[in-house]
Amino acid sequence: MISARRAQIFALLAPYLMGAFLLVALPAGISLYVSFTRYDGVSTPVWVGLQNFQLLRIEPLFWVALINSLIYISQAVLLRTLAALGLALLYNQPRRATGLYRAIAYLPTVIPDTAYALVWLWILNPLYGPLNLALRAFNLPAPAWLTDTRWAIPAIVLMSLFQVGEGLVILLAGLRHIPRDLKDSARVDGANALQTFSAITLPLLSPWLILLTVRDVVLSFQNTFTPAYIMTRGGPYYATYFAPLLIYETAFDRLRFGQGAAIMLIVFAVTIFLVLALYFFFESWGFDDD
Amino acid sequence: MKNSIIFLFLIALLALLPACQSAPASGGKISFMVFGEPAELAAYQRLVDTFQQEHPEIQVEVIQVPGQSDYRKRMAADIAAGSPADVVLVNYRRQAAFASAGALTPLDDYLAKSTTLKEADFYPQSFAAFKWDGKQVCIPQNISSLVIYYNKALFDQAGVAYPAPGWTWADFLSAAQALTKDLNGDGTNEQFGAGIDPELIRIAPFVWQAGSDLVDDDANPTTLMLDTSEALDAGKFFMELQTAHHVVPNAEQEAAEASESRFLNGRTAMYFNSRRVVPTIREAAKFDWDVAALPQEKTAATILHADGYCLPSASKNKDAAWVFIEFANSAEGQTILAQTGRTVPSLISIAESPVFLDPSNKPAHSQVFLDVIPTMRVLPLHPAWADIEDTATQEITRGFYGETDPYDAMLRAVQRTRDYFTGK
Repeated sequence: MISARRAQIFALLAPYLMGAFLLVALPAGISLYVSFTRYDGVSTPVWVGLQNFQLLRIEPLFWVALINSLIYISQAVLLRTLAALGLALLYNQPRRATGLYRAIAYLPTVIPDTAYALVWLWILNPLYGPLNLALRAFNLPAPAWLTDTRWAIPAIVLMSLFQVGEGLVILLAGLRHIPRDLKDSARVDGANALQTFSAITLPLLSPWLILLTVRDVVLSFQNTFTPAYIMTRGGPYYATYFAPLLIYETAFDRLRFGQGAAIMLIVFAVTIFLVLALYFFFESWGFDDD
Repeated sequence: MKNSIIFLFLIALLALLPACQSAPASGGKISFMVFGEPAELAAYQRLVDTFQQEHPEIQVEVIQVPGQSDYRKRMAADIAAGSPADVVLVNYRRQAAFASAGALTPLDDYLAKSTTLKEADFYPQSFAAFKWDGKQVCIPQNISSLVIYYNKALFDQAGVAYPAPGWTWADFLSAAQALTKDLNGDGTNEQFGAGIDPELIRIAPFVWQAGSDLVDDDANPTTLMLDTSEALDAGKFFMELQTAHHVVPNAEQEAAEASESRFLNGRTAMYFNSRRVVPTIREAAKFDWDVAALPQEKTAATILHADGYCLPSASKNKDAAWVFIEFANSAEGQTILAQTGRTVPSLISIAESPVFLDPSNKPAHSQVFLDVIPTMRVLPLHPAWADIEDTATQEITRGFYGETDPYDAMLRAVQRTRDYFTGK
């Protein structure tokens, strides 16, 4: 009886498991193997041991791409989490047309990445873009954004700040999860808004924030590809040359699939390291996800 | 029970698959992957349609990829997957990367048997650019080169003489200066004398014109020669067009509106590009325009731009693919593409015919493309050329937009590309 039920569950899961195996596990396994080979996509891969990794140590572009990615993540994850938190707090208050505001905040998140990048290419146009026209109208400095090595990453961070819809939804759900009576009793005890926020809302929201941060770290390593590929091609002078673009160009333009796979493996390892580091960091604060 | 039926069905399907793939000799289905603007794609479609009429036994499926760099990556992915298109277009600057990996079928045997294609009918510069390891790996469709597209109306307005054969760097600079203008009096220029991409393939002709070589040994290159005193002069002249003379847009202005679009909108007087922009200019330019040869210094020089039809080793219908390649490079096939303005035909007879030279089809002086052939130089063939070109271009761009001085940019381009030549 039990085994029949097992079989049923397995049968129901089979399409998903097959997909996961064919599209995730198998390619990941092959990439792992390819990262220890020299492979041009045509000839048989040649086993070279750790050579790909040793070469990366002295490959300046690898370090540029990795550091750019880390800089982007450190700025984007922090600001995106804060933006989602701020919006969630704002939209959690019942007031007129909240639904509309939430929809507006969520809207940019559903735009396909390529279209979003093209729209921002126009917004960030240094001379004719609406952003710089507005900045100049207020006599504010108008940076050249994507053509200025110092402003290119901040520009892409800025653009990512408008796609926090999913974080907003998660945090709104988290806020709903906080029992009303806790806040009420705090108010009865004479706590002001700031105290309520720091002593009740924030600690109770922390598991959600951890979830969001970890997810955003993983996401931010990958989602630099579209803006870098469409808007800057990694420039100016490698300022937006991120790890995913390097992997793509190494493998598919330079036909060095082995080296591309090796970089991917390193990026994977760095992501795991960051996620674990964040986990222990939050845990040391005494928050856990219970 | 139901499951096993589905399973059996799947097995049956799998068994059918190989049957679908096998094809009789010189018949069946082939695919042809092309890139380009809509006008260029229409040209390839016409080529295919005409081919279909003459060869109804072969069905050609056209795969369109918008840009050349996307095209290359798509092709690499297809080759790695073992299923590339049966006929692909490859630039000679990239053929070595594919040929050295064994991804392209040598065409010598096909050529020897062909009654339509003879090497002697083609321009040798273009044909030789598609040899690798002594074998012919692609058949060139064109022999394009870097030229200057100029807006005659802007020259007339400014009272500047049109570019004349044999003009020098100094002539070019003074024309560009006279044609650079602040149109609305706001203190910044809206109209530019010239527009040129700061790339290795654009600076190369200037290096040759100054009397330097681009690499130490064309057959076995081991380093760029951008550090010779002549090449440094060329680099300085090229980069100072922006940094000192401001006759080309700066980084912000170029990002705000690319030189090609600025030219099409009538605000760039001289735009450097190869033949491939002709269909676009014909369609979009609302002013009178023509082409001119590059200016010269110690010597005249320009750079070959050419794409070839290649037959991937993994093609499953090579004989039919060759029939198509043969047709595309026959007088008839090259005529169809030349009519669209896209190509400078690699077949001497078509290039010298009215199909290409007819002055009533702009540019009026297409003859310029043929006049420059004797002074045309060819980039070296190297499997890592994409790396070399991209890396050098990054440094040249930096120098061009004034983030470092020209000499530093040229020297860094040499240093940073050295390892790619030796294949570290």
